Amino acid sequence: MTDKNIRFLVVDDFSTMRRIVRNLLKELGFSNVEEAEDGQVALHKLKSTTFDFVVSDWNMPNMTGIELLKAVRADPTLKHLPFLMITAEAKKENIVEAAQAGASGYIVKPFTAATLDEKLGKIFQTLNK
Amino acid sequence: MSDKAINSGDSDELQALFDSIVNANQPDEAPAPAAAAPAPEPVAETPPPSAAPNAAMSMEDPARSMFASIGQLTRKVHDALREMGYDKSLEKAAAAIPDARDRLSYVATLTEQAANRTLNAVDVAQPLQDKIEADSEALASEWDKLYANQLSVEEFKQLAARTREHLKTSAANARATNSQLLEIMMAQDFQDLTGQVIKKIVEMAKEMEGSLFEFLVQFSPAGTGKPLPIGEVDASLENGPVYNADGRTDVVTNQEQVDDLLASLGF
Repeated sequence: MTDKNIRFLVVDDFSTMRRIVRNLLKELGFSNVEEAEDGQVALHKLKSTTFDFVVSDWNMPNMTGIELLKAVRADPTLKHLPFLMITAEAKKENIVEAAQAGASGYIVKPFTAATLDEKLGKIFQTLNK
Repeated sequence: MSDKAINSGDSDELQALFDSIVNANQPDEAPAPAAAAPAPEPVAETPPPSAAPNAAMSMEDPARSMFASIGQLTRKVHDALREMGYDKSLEKAAAAIPDARDRLSYVATLTEQAANRTLNAVDVAQPLQDKIEADSEALASEWDKLYANQLSVEEFKQLAARTREHLKTSAANARATNSQLLEIMMAQDFQDLTGQVIKKIVEMAKEMEGSLFEFLVQFSPAGTGKPLPIGEVDASLENGPVYNADGRTDVVTNQEQVDDLLASLGF
């Protein structure tokens, strides 16, 4: 059983999308959620507080989601973090790039609550192996 | 075409710009600042701020000559356009861009407001529904006990009183939820407003495309009479939503395709 208290960081430059993701996570029983408006803020938060899971958009100012992913994977204290991309970027190149950079999952917007649930479940399953 | 009307434009400014570019392209004639790097230097040193009165001078040589070429091209195009009378229609098209930008930020604002309004309403209504659900379930299990003859007369009286109270609060909560649903419905009015604005932008883009296309056909380099391929120019990874996937093989259109692609790569 997944620990419902795990701490999420939701990274998106649109506050509405952060809110929607936060609400969906709450709906799935995860209410320990923090937000960041771009990769730079997110990386700062990840380094100063402990998180268990990152959900990130791709296209953001200052630092993009893929840059954040690479930074996380390059940091010895953060590289184990599950990292789920939720983005409108739908080119095959993007998906391949994200997978190669070490993304734990990739969801294209617009997405449904069921998709988020399924991807989270899959990631937790991999983690618990 | 009235030449006078056309000539009254910004040709003086354009001439000045052109001259400055030509000067920048001939470093011998321009007073060379001490920090200006000679041609063969591979990486230009960062010039001190005082040495950069002319931006073109501080550039590397390839950049400088590119800048100059663009300047010369601009001049040629400008002259040619004036002769053909195209500059007026292009001017109109260019003037439409700030307008389109404003319209688009209007759309962005409205859609954000609508999303916030809707989410706020959900935030208010959800706890009300949760309360109705929880209280109803608790009372139902009490009533089950009554029908199983597990309640005393005194307990039954209490249950009846609580049920009466519950019916009253539920009615009030349902009313409050309904008003939030109405709010959600009203928040969708952005669709009407943005739809109209978007339609206008589409019309404007069509017009702009028309005049630019005409211009391209007239002035494309000799031998290449066909328009540029569309959609093959952008190889970047930050494109935003795919608003038109027709005929494209480089994008996915749903989550299954994402999953299939990842699976095919062994992820």
